[in-house]
Amino acid sequence: MEPNVYTPQLAKIVQTKDEVVGARAIKTFRAEFVNSARFDYRCGQCAMLSVFGKGEAMISISSSPLIKEYMQFSILRTGRVTAALHDLEAGDFIGVRGPYGNGFPIDEWRGKNLVFIGGGIGLAPLWSVVQTALLRRNEFGTLSLIYGARTAKDIVFKDDLADLKSQMPVHLSIDVAEPEWNEFVGFVPTNVLEKKPSPANAIAITCGPPIMIKFVIKNLKDLKFEDEQIYTTVENKMKCGIGKCGRCNIGFHYVCKDGPVYSWAELKKLPQEY
Amino acid sequence: MEKTLAKKSFPQWIKKLGSWSVYIPRKDKEGRWNYVEADGGEVGLEVLQTTLPPKKILFPQREVFLEFAMTPAGGRETLEVKEVLPDVKPTVIIGARPCEARAAWLLDKVFGGEFRDVYYWKRRDQTSLVGFACTTPPSENCFCTSVEGSPHSEEGLDLLLTDLGDKYYVQSLSPKGEKLISAAKDLFEEPKPEVKKQVKAAHAESEKKIKRQLKDARPIAEKLKGMFGSPLWDEESMSCLRCGICTYLCPSCHCFDINDEIENSSPLRGQRVRTWDTCQFPDFTMHSSGHNPRPDKAARLRQRLLHKFQYFVQVYDKFMCVGCGRCITLCPVGIDIIKVLDKVRENGA
Amino acid sequence: MANIEDLKEEAKKLLREGKVKYIIGYGAGTNGWPAAPLFIKKHEDVDKLVWNPTCVHNLVRFLVDEKRRKARQKQPDKRPVGIMVKGCDSRAVVVLLQEKFIDRNDVYILGVSCGKTGVVDDAKLSKKMGGKKAKKVEVDAQDRFVVTTEEGTVEAAAEELLAERCLECKANFPVIYDVLSGEKTKRPLDKPFGSLEKIESLSAAERWSFWKEQLDKCIRCYACRSACPMCYCDECVVDSINLAVTADTTADEKAQRIRWVQRSAESSENLIYHLVRAIHLAGRCIDCGECERACPLDIPLRFLNKKLEKEAKELFGYEVGFDSALPALISSFRDEDPQDFIR
Repeated sequence: MEPNVYTPQLAKIVQTKDEVVGARAIKTFRAEFVNSARFDYRCGQCAMLSVFGKGEAMISISSSPLIKEYMQFSILRTGRVTAALHDLEAGDFIGVRGPYGNGFPIDEWRGKNLVFIGGGIGLAPLWSVVQTALLRRNEFGTLSLIYGARTAKDIVFKDDLADLKSQMPVHLSIDVAEPEWNEFVGFVPTNVLEKKPSPANAIAITCGPPIMIKFVIKNLKDLKFEDEQIYTTVENKMKCGIGKCGRCNIGFHYVCKDGPVYSWAELKKLPQEY
Repeated sequence: MEKTLAKKSFPQWIKKLGSWSVYIPRKDKEGRWNYVEADGGEVGLEVLQTTLPPKKILFPQREVFLEFAMTPAGGRETLEVKEVLPDVKPTVIIGARPCEARAAWLLDKVFGGEFRDVYYWKRRDQTSLVGFACTTPPSENCFCTSVEGSPHSEEGLDLLLTDLGDKYYVQSLSPKGEKLISAAKDLFEEPKPEVKKQVKAAHAESEKKIKRQLKDARPIAEKLKGMFGSPLWDEESMSCLRCGICTYLCPSCHCFDINDEIENSSPLRGQRVRTWDTCQFPDFTMHSSGHNPRPDKAARLRQRLLHKFQYFVQVYDKFMCVGCGRCITLCPVGIDIIKVLDKVRENGA
Repeated sequence: MANIEDLKEEAKKLLREGKVKYIIGYGAGTNGWPAAPLFIKKHEDVDKLVWNPTCVHNLVRFLVDEKRRKARQKQPDKRPVGIMVKGCDSRAVVVLLQEKFIDRNDVYILGVSCGKTGVVDDAKLSKKMGGKKAKKVEVDAQDRFVVTTEEGTVEAAAEELLAERCLECKANFPVIYDVLSGEKTKRPLDKPFGSLEKIESLSAAERWSFWKEQLDKCIRCYACRSACPMCYCDECVVDSINLAVTADTTADEKAQRIRWVQRSAESSENLIYHLVRAIHLAGRCIDCGECERACPLDIPLRFLNKKLEKEAKELFGYEVGFDSALPALISSFRDEDPQDFIR
């Protein structure tokens, strides 16, 4: 029987965690396949999650592929499907199709210093690379993270970041000053200029809102990072996830299939329509 | 395999195709032609262009992907998800235009590849396309010869019939085509020696009759690479109504949407359904955050033209437009892609 | 038909003096239909304007686009746009003014009179010409149509080629304008609501079967809605996908939006789409016929709107598109309105 690329596998939610509550709620889910389906994925790949009756949403897999016991997704509550996902608890079922996308070329980065730069929910797609780099620590040079959110409440993976500080420099920021906040105040791109990551033997990997990515790349260029040293993962509205529904294209690329990971060298050649 | 079929034998051949679902163009009460099931009715032999292309048979407006239901089992509700594959009889579309078959051949590339679309292929594998060479252009606005097609092109067809006055020259282009001939092999004759020359002449004549031309399509495709930021798109899209007709009626447009349709909310029961969609609707690319990469008509007109004449060329080395001219004829405000691309070619000259 | 040299002079003046941003008018078409909408920004291009019986398009739709365009700009150019309108089109402008969707200062109205004739119907024209392409359609001194094809000219009486709606015309010259080209002649209505007679004579079962067959053809391309100047809602209730989203729209608003119709072009969905759209246009539709003209599958949409127009007139004495101070049909009442359905 021919495999049907549109039929999801059923997965059970085994754990949920409220990362951010309130207006811009973010919830982390860990899910396991019901029928131990084969699902080998690479860092940076995504999966189409189904809530039957509501629809599907393309969410990046934020756990490291080296962890076999579960898959982790961190989801911002922003619309129909994500609101339905947020209503689910451990024991509920979702559909999973994938993995889709090209993933980060992490093997090419062996020996290099990795600078992770994230904004808001953008830390979720980067998280799989961060965790994989830690699990394969000797293969890489220095690791560091520059991450910011709108307010202290909006910072995602708060507990994990506290743990992370003992393993690599973590530079946090929020947009506007708050009492009890003693780290950087300002936008993430500005913090990048502040912390001046060195381009020597380095790869910068960034993800966040489109406008943040734009200015982070600009500032990295000002810090003398070459186009091939800057990587990002873009998003677009998706439905099929397999390059057929015609929706997510940037030029002749479909973000779901040919992306979502791009080096700035590749991305700047495409029409800036994302 | 090449044969001839006397025109008077044509209705008898159709009668022998009882084990196929036969689709033919038929005129409705308002005078519009569309592909419908023949149901034993008369099969017209005119060269004409239907409103909806045969893509609606291979890629229907609505396709059910799967059914889901929460069924009570052992005291608690379990989620059941079942795929729903189309149950398709062997189908033959008689009277397809070569450009429409070529469009099906292009759609085969989109729906094939690394992720095979099983719904499309279930229909495609069961469907045979019988085309008639266009001895006269079926539309005032067709331009197939400008986009590497022709009024007698073979791509996508299983049989190509050329009108030679009292008979048809029948070229079988695939095993499916041969099966159609075998269904009534007594009606088909070996072609006489002079027939091949007649066919060649008829084909050459038909190419000369195409009324509209798009000059230098390949150089235009190259030039489009640098025209992304041009003010041309804004000027040309001023009168666009963003109605969706150009894309819905295009034989090679394939954009779609996937939605869950609920039949009952408690206990939950419904279907996941694919429907046609179009890059011309403003919300096609809108993110949940409200950010829209293509917020205005200029960006959407540019997307349609670049997709057909540049992106597809870059990926498959073929034009996605087959030159049928439907978008030109049916646009309520007369936006003419040949004229727009002429302006692209002349831009900056 | 009006010779628009006076209108062109005015248009040139407006553009030279920068009094309007651009002018929306009619120009030559290239796709087989002789006329198409034309946007003119420079006074040198004004001579491209044409006026003839193939100028069927209702250009008022582009005033909606202009408003959307301005909303997207940080510092919009507040000058008016010039627009060519026929009598029917001008009534659409009145409705947009009545609903305060646009301001009178947003438009400079270049009116043209249809005189004793009107515009031609593409199906009737094609039939009369035996499928030959019409290159030019003009009106002669006897108010007959003269059609030029590649093979010569053909004459026809006006009624043979006039669009159905022109046979029920309520305004053969604009009811609102800044300049008017052509005569304010009377053109008596052939028969008000005459086009409805045949369908009204059908039984309920016959009508159901007629509409089911017609609406089953619909592929939900939404061309009817896109062509209508009065369908200007940013978020359409019978479109399950279209959502007016800004940065302030909450997740709950997006999550809880009800899908009144599905995208599937099934009988039930198509019926609801068309009937609800018709009801939302009751007391607003001025019968420009664009919905029916745009429909690629020739669904006779005008009947739905015309029927509601007739009910508005007969039940509530309501006629839209002449007085921009008129209150909306749905949000006003008279003491003498029928009440026999209240039991």
